[in-house]
Amino acid sequence: MILFSTPTCGKCKEIKESFDLKKLGVEVKELTEDNPDALAWLAYYELVKKAENGLPIMVLKESNVVITGAENIKKFLQNKLKN
Amino acid sequence: MAEILELKPPVKVDYKDTTDLAVFVRTSDEELASWNRQKIVEALIRETLLDRDTAEMISKEVEQVIIRSGISVLTSPLIREIVDAKLIEHGLERARRMHTRLGMPLYDVEQLLTYPNKENANVPHGPEATNLTLAENIKKEYALLNVFSQDISDAHMKGDVHLHDLGFIDRPYCSGQSLEYIKKFGLSLPNSLAIAKPAKHPEVLLAHMVKFAAALQSNFAGAIGWDAVNLFFAPYLEGMIDRDLKQLAQMLIFEFSQQAVARGGQAIFSDINLYWEVPKHFESVPAIGPAGEYTGKTYGEYSEQAKRFVKALFEVYMEGDGCGRPFFFPKPLVHITEKFWKEEGHEDFLNLISEVACEKGNTYFVFDRGNTAKISECCRLSFKLQESDLLDAKMPWRMRYSALQNVTINLPRIAYEAKGSDVKLFEIIAERMELAVKAHIQKRLFIEKLLSQGEKGPLALLTMNKDGQPYLRMHRVSYLIGMVGLNELVKYHLGQELHESNFALQFGLKIIAHMKLLSDKFSKMHNMHFVLEQTPAESTAYRFARLDLKHYSEKAGRVVKGDISRGEIYYTNSTYLNVSHPINPIDRIKIEGKFHPLIEAGSLTHIWLGEKKPAKETMANFIKKIFHQTENDQVAFSPEFSTCLDCRRTERGLATSCKYCGSEKIENITRITGYFTRVSSWNKGKIGELRDRFRSVEYF
Repeated sequence: MILFSTPTCGKCKEIKESFDLKKLGVEVKELTEDNPDALAWLAYYELVKKAENGLPIMVLKESNVVITGAENIKKFLQNKLKN
Repeated sequence: MAEILELKPPVKVDYKDTTDLAVFVRTSDEELASWNRQKIVEALIRETLLDRDTAEMISKEVEQVIIRSGISVLTSPLIREIVDAKLIEHGLERARRMHTRLGMPLYDVEQLLTYPNKENANVPHGPEATNLTLAENIKKEYALLNVFSQDISDAHMKGDVHLHDLGFIDRPYCSGQSLEYIKKFGLSLPNSLAIAKPAKHPEVLLAHMVKFAAALQSNFAGAIGWDAVNLFFAPYLEGMIDRDLKQLAQMLIFEFSQQAVARGGQAIFSDINLYWEVPKHFESVPAIGPAGEYTGKTYGEYSEQAKRFVKALFEVYMEGDGCGRPFFFPKPLVHITEKFWKEEGHEDFLNLISEVACEKGNTYFVFDRGNTAKISECCRLSFKLQESDLLDAKMPWRMRYSALQNVTINLPRIAYEAKGSDVKLFEIIAERMELAVKAHIQKRLFIEKLLSQGEKGPLALLTMNKDGQPYLRMHRVSYLIGMVGLNELVKYHLGQELHESNFALQFGLKIIAHMKLLSDKFSKMHNMHFVLEQTPAESTAYRFARLDLKHYSEKAGRVVKGDISRGEIYYTNSTYLNVSHPINPIDRIKIEGKFHPLIEAGSLTHIWLGEKKPAKETMANFIKKIFHQTENDQVAFSPEFSTCLDCRRTERGLATSCKYCGSEKIENITRITGYFTRVSSWNKGKIGELRDRFRSVEYF
């Protein structure tokens, strides 16, 4: 799983602080002006335009499912914790 | 450049050292003048920073060379060459550079006058074209010597980067505008012998549009694009019957496609942006009608007329020219926004433009998803409208956009130099981007110098000020950074082409992401708008491949495309996948589309149809799928045609003889980069690419 976020995004920060993402197998990609790798992954999943409308965005790599909106991502991660 | 020997009134000077030579000089004023050593001194002092004593010394040495040679008639270029040789002997390199004479060898001029130049397939062969090439060659030399610094010129000459349109160094690259400017202000051009008030009739508006386009083409190196043409014509079309509307559409297309009077006898490289729906940003804008007066309605209320006109235009495209060939210009770019899919009649219109795409290939499908608004032109260039531009949309005559220059980076060479190291690869990309930025700054300074001369200067048209700001709005200018051969860079660096693995594709995306972030960074640093563009690279992909085969033979030989034995070599254009890879068109569109959001100034995917003629409904569904399931910005479909020069009939495919009359006088036509043209005018690299292109015959 990949979580796309930026250091200045409040909702992203909330998710990063609320969950042990590493333990859940979530790789965080920070979209900053010196990180082409994160931007390349965003482009790979065809999410550049979606990301312009807001972050965070989560991608489930195996199924290519995209989850947008902090609340939806939180719900997904909470379920993941329960399981 | 001033001449050494000018036949101005002789200056009476007591030249103590002057030898009374029986030598005559053919001056560039077409006169024979007697030898006067002092002319050399005067030229050296005027053109370089040498002091009088040094200039005297050089002139005497030159005189001795001439005496010893026993020559009786000299030319001023020869004298200048001897002077330059003396300057080199004395280590005066700076003075030699400043004293350079620009021009061409006799042999080259003869070749040029006799044989066609294939750098730009849109330029025919003829006296006007050779005028253009001769002038371009001198301006190129001037640019490399005098506009750009030595490191930039060297990088261009070596093929690290390509500075586009050096022959048009004294103009910006391209221009996008709307009809509103001439609708509001009429046709009033600097240096014009007559001034026209705003048009009262649609035919006159069309005449103004064509003449203004020709005037603009004389001031820009590249394309002239027009925004929302059908919408801005609409207030003139009320009450017009269908027959007259079709006639107007026909006039518009023929005027642009036949008007081979622009630079070098070529047609104006023109684009018309078209909409089925009234784009959101123009809905509530007060409409300008006949005589430049507001009609009292908004453009949103002219939807019906705009639709009728755009349909008429595509009916004309469907018919083709007198031989049934596709029109080469103006290129119709249909913008498809989110609103399109809700607009009444969109299904029928989509079928119509899809049919034109299948039959003639003219339609460019431009996808403006979300709240994006764009003006597109050239082969794929587009100007994404910012917040401030959307405010300008309320006064659409203000919407004038330009790119000042295009600098393209040779990507495969960077891989050769990086020798497998990622760190080195990314570092060299940054260095080349920095070079491109420096080149843009130097061109900007040069153009600003020309613009500063205002209405008496060479760019008077661009300084005309009718709405409180000059026609060329420098604060909104973009600076393009292009790329060629991403596929070959990845192949050399990783051993796989972009289509061969997700790893290779991801790495390619990282390269372009790196370039995008760097261009954003440089934009902030210099307060200039640097943007990536998929360079059309009609000749650059060939030039880079040739230079790399020469200077990096072993390395380039492993990745270069085409047929080396025929010299038909090329690098894959910009971020494209290998053109010969047999891939489902939707997959090509999807994969190439992943790069598009990173390339702000425009991207395009080509689907080569060959002889295949898909059904319009299939194509329409395909377009729907592209819009909703990919991030691809623009798609064009390219069929191939052959026209018989004897019986004038056109058939599908690249034939060698006419299927109707058997004649072998055949003209093959298809899309070279972003426009249709005759294959006979293509350069060798593009011919190589044409042989390799995978035609999507089985997928429709």
